[in-house]
Amino acid sequence: MARQLLITGCNRGIGRVAVGLFAEEGYDIICCIRGENPEFSKYAAELMRANHVKIEMIYCDMMDENAIMSAFKPLLEERRHIDVLINNAGIAAGSLLQMTPMSQLKEVFQVNFFSAVLVTQIVSRLMMRQRSGSIINMGSVAGLDNFSGYTSYGSSKAAVMSFTKIIARELAPYGIRVNAIAPGLTDTNMAKQMEAKAYDEMVSRTDMKRLGKPEEIANAMLFLASDRASFITGRIIRVDGGM
Amino acid sequence: MTNLEKYNQAFIDNFNVSADKLSGLQYQGTELWDSVGHMTLVAALEDAFNIMMETDDIIDFSSYEKGKEILSTKYNVKF
Repeated sequence: MARQLLITGCNRGIGRVAVGLFAEEGYDIICCIRGENPEFSKYAAELMRANHVKIEMIYCDMMDENAIMSAFKPLLEERRHIDVLINNAGIAAGSLLQMTPMSQLKEVFQVNFFSAVLVTQIVSRLMMRQRSGSIINMGSVAGLDNFSGYTSYGSSKAAVMSFTKIIARELAPYGIRVNAIAPGLTDTNMAKQMEAKAYDEMVSRTDMKRLGKPEEIANAMLFLASDRASFITGRIIRVDGGM
Repeated sequence: MTNLEKYNQAFIDNFNVSADKLSGLQYQGTELWDSVGHMTLVAALEDAFNIMMETDDIIDFSSYEKGKEILSTKYNVKF
């Protein structure tokens, strides 16, 4: 039986590249995205054909807790086997504290943190029954290095990484590993949203003086998902070109 | 084995209590029914009745009686 991956937020950026990479490795994949997307469906169909894997879609808005519950409930009812969960859904927001509306803070935390907690609550139940699994959360160097202007995004990612370490301890007795990846600035649409000055500063901070490529982050996901990482849990893996 | 017997057995096995002590038993009312024991009990009941409980129900499951109520009303387990 092929290994089963469930990944959220994967119709573009790092998540999309990860879907391609995991498909190439023979994983069957459940993609959780916000809504129907013909272009992504076509991409998934091509991956299925090329790699002889199954890819199915779950649609839900990570802003909506009830929608998440409704979308994921069938997985529980069907007792689906899931080997790997990647909580990749996320949104970016950059602003100084005094320019950060509470609405933005709540939105960022809902998508980046609360939705990941809820999805993990559901999927980890299945993994606990299996007594195996690997959960990979998307952190960020912004949640580790505390850059100015990252009240919303940086705080939400810090929460994700703290959550990762806590549940790694809770779930280890069930054979479930939990880790997070903390990417540096990566060449996605999210990076293009940054102010030019902040973007330049971020690139200049890296020893390698460049953005990360989505596939470089996805490769770390693939490693953590695999049995090659079988003794790694509760860790935050920086993939940042040296910072 | 009846459903009640299965239900009781999960408590007896997991919390090392006798059948006569089940009535009125509450979460954290006996040494082994702590948070870890609670999840073990839930897993045992899920296996016994072939169900998957939702998080809210796991949280609400605060006593022997409350658990019976949840299983019968939400998971169609007849006692």
